[in-house]
Amino acid sequence: MSVARGELFGLLGPNGAGKSTLTKMISGLINPTSGTIKVGGYNIRDDPMKAKELLGVVPQDIVLYDYMNARENLAFFGRLYGLSGRKLKNRIDDLLGFTQLDEKAVKRLVSTYSGGMKRRVNIAAALLHEPQVMLLDEPTAGLDPQNKHALWGIIQTLQKNGKTIVLTTHMMDEAEELCSRVAIMDKGRIIALGSPRKLIRKVKMENTITVVPDKISPKLMGTVKEISGVKGSYSAYDENEKTETLKVITENPDDILPDVVSAIAKDGAKILSVQLSRVTLEDVFILLTGRSLREEE
Amino acid sequence: MMQLRRAIYQVFAIAKTDFLGVIRNKTAIFFTLLFPLFFIVIIGFTFGQSGAEETSRIIVGTVNLDGGITYVNGTASQNSTIGDAFVQALKANFTVYEYGEYGDKDTNGTAAYAISRGDIDVSVVIPANFTETLSFQYTDNLGIPVPTKAHLDLYVDPSDPTGSLITQQSVLGFISGFVKYYQDTAISYFPPDFQDYLRIFADPIMVSTSEADVAGRELRWIEYMVPGTLGLVLLWSGLNHASMAIAIERTRGTFQRMVVAPVSPTSVLIGKLISSLALVYLSAVILLVSGVLLFQVNLYWNIPVIILAVFLGALSAIGIGLIISSLAKNEEAANSIAIIISVPLQFFIGAFFPLSIMPEPAQIFGEALPFTKLVNAMQNTMTKNLPFETIIPEILYLTISGLILFLLGTIVYRISLRRL
Repeated sequence: MSVARGELFGLLGPNGAGKSTLTKMISGLINPTSGTIKVGGYNIRDDPMKAKELLGVVPQDIVLYDYMNARENLAFFGRLYGLSGRKLKNRIDDLLGFTQLDEKAVKRLVSTYSGGMKRRVNIAAALLHEPQVMLLDEPTAGLDPQNKHALWGIIQTLQKNGKTIVLTTHMMDEAEELCSRVAIMDKGRIIALGSPRKLIRKVKMENTITVVPDKISPKLMGTVKEISGVKGSYSAYDENEKTETLKVITENPDDILPDVVSAIAKDGAKILSVQLSRVTLEDVFILLTGRSLREEE
Repeated sequence: MMQLRRAIYQVFAIAKTDFLGVIRNKTAIFFTLLFPLFFIVIIGFTFGQSGAEETSRIIVGTVNLDGGITYVNGTASQNSTIGDAFVQALKANFTVYEYGEYGDKDTNGTAAYAISRGDIDVSVVIPANFTETLSFQYTDNLGIPVPTKAHLDLYVDPSDPTGSLITQQSVLGFISGFVKYYQDTAISYFPPDFQDYLRIFADPIMVSTSEADVAGRELRWIEYMVPGTLGLVLLWSGLNHASMAIAIERTRGTFQRMVVAPVSPTSVLIGKLISSLALVYLSAVILLVSGVLLFQVNLYWNIPVIILAVFLGALSAIGIGLIISSLAKNEEAANSIAIIISVPLQFFIGAFFPLSIMPEPAQIFGEALPFTKLVNAMQNTMTKNLPFETIIPEILYLTISGLILFLLGTIVYRISLRRL
């Protein structure tokens, strides 16, 4: 697997797939049992310091000293990369602009910041030494939709500024929205690699029928699977809508939609909404592994 | 050259951040910096004014029944001359409260009640026939005096064995002096030719006890204790802080963030060592300066030797702390292990009690501790003003144990890097 300069690359997979382990190996936290990892041409094992100079790692959790303010935190992480004096001060000033913290907030201890403020300082701490390559481990985990979209904007800006970004995520929408290429991982192996569009086309499916009935029984799931033309089906819980949805993957949604509606009616359930949508990376994962990403969490 | 400069920036950034973590944390400030101050204040108020002899602090409760009716040779007698003289003499040496009866612990106003409440340290009960006995008023049918001993009862508080022992010794010493006065007075009534012989019979062995001059001047108890408290500083600031140093970074995730930067594990270690040493020295300075300012502690200030000995002792403390910090799963575990180790240790280093009063296994254990060597070295230097040559064995012991423990700490720390 290789990531080109300036690329925004996604490592996709459920929890336990091996994304974090791979990230830890790339960043030099753990040694690979086999194989070679090179960052900007430097082998992380043979020349770790050179490789680490090129890397900016944003951990999944907020890793800051909460008894220091934003400026003090940035100064600390800057010094770890050998920055000092005017150069360090200028970089901190630039990045404080990036964090959108006002003068008062900059002087307050990090422990008083909101989640979004901490998240921005957490990213800024990895940018001080102007790394060529950034590793972002689940950067939007735990963020509300508003902050999540704001962070997507920041990540896209970083890429436009020439950074090579490796993003780990288990959120398909995030990977589809941001990444030019993704590697889908499962149980420590890459099971698919390519652009999201290419991966979707590769499985030769374009559509998904999403139905929201008032109830989904195991019997209904069995009946739907038996319908001719159904490539796959699963139920998923929509956290935002608080509803159980039935997803049916097919090449011909128009042909099988009446059968799906009929099966639901026969099962005694009421249909609340029906939606036809294109296949997502999540659907690709299900077809490749036979499991839902969310089942793994 | 660039790499060396970067390593220096890293080391001092890590040390500064670690140090800030203590001085911006109220709990850490208390246990690391204010606890030594709190401790010296307690010691100062307890022992600060005490010299070698301070019996006036002992509170004696007297129950003088000597003026009461007693029957001598069938006749009622109420003489209280010697009992009253005894109480007056007590008052000249101790703080004395007088009670009408010994009573019991539940009856307010009695001596027993006062002892049970800690209002008095000891109670002396003088019997009703005290004067009659000592003035030989008991006679036989022929009118010849019957030799009868006077009987005093002393009651001490059993719940405070050490305090009771000191009090008891002080009061017995006073009684011995009073008896001597009585003997001399009684002997003076005999013919002069017999008096010298009688004095020898009454008091055949003379013992004189003096305090040896070990410091070149008279010292107060606090001046003996302050050097010992430097050993406690190593345990509180050195061991406890170092035990948290890596564990807290690992729990916070900042250790992993340091490792993904071009920072060598050695830089992290040196940064932590510097901050731990800074805290040890700061605690020691607070302790010594507060001793001087608050209690006018007057010691011999051989600063280079103090700095050297504290540094070597700190290596042992930080080495142990590093082992704990590297092995512990998280900061809570590290904190618990450090407390379990450091709290009992402080009783074996000779800072609170001399090791000589402990059982032999405890003495052997205590003597093996590097912190005990530091306490000995500091007492010899700061209290007795002994030359450096006399503490070379302690300094050598501190050097070897410091290097071994710090090396062990470094090895365990290196091994722990595998489980990031």
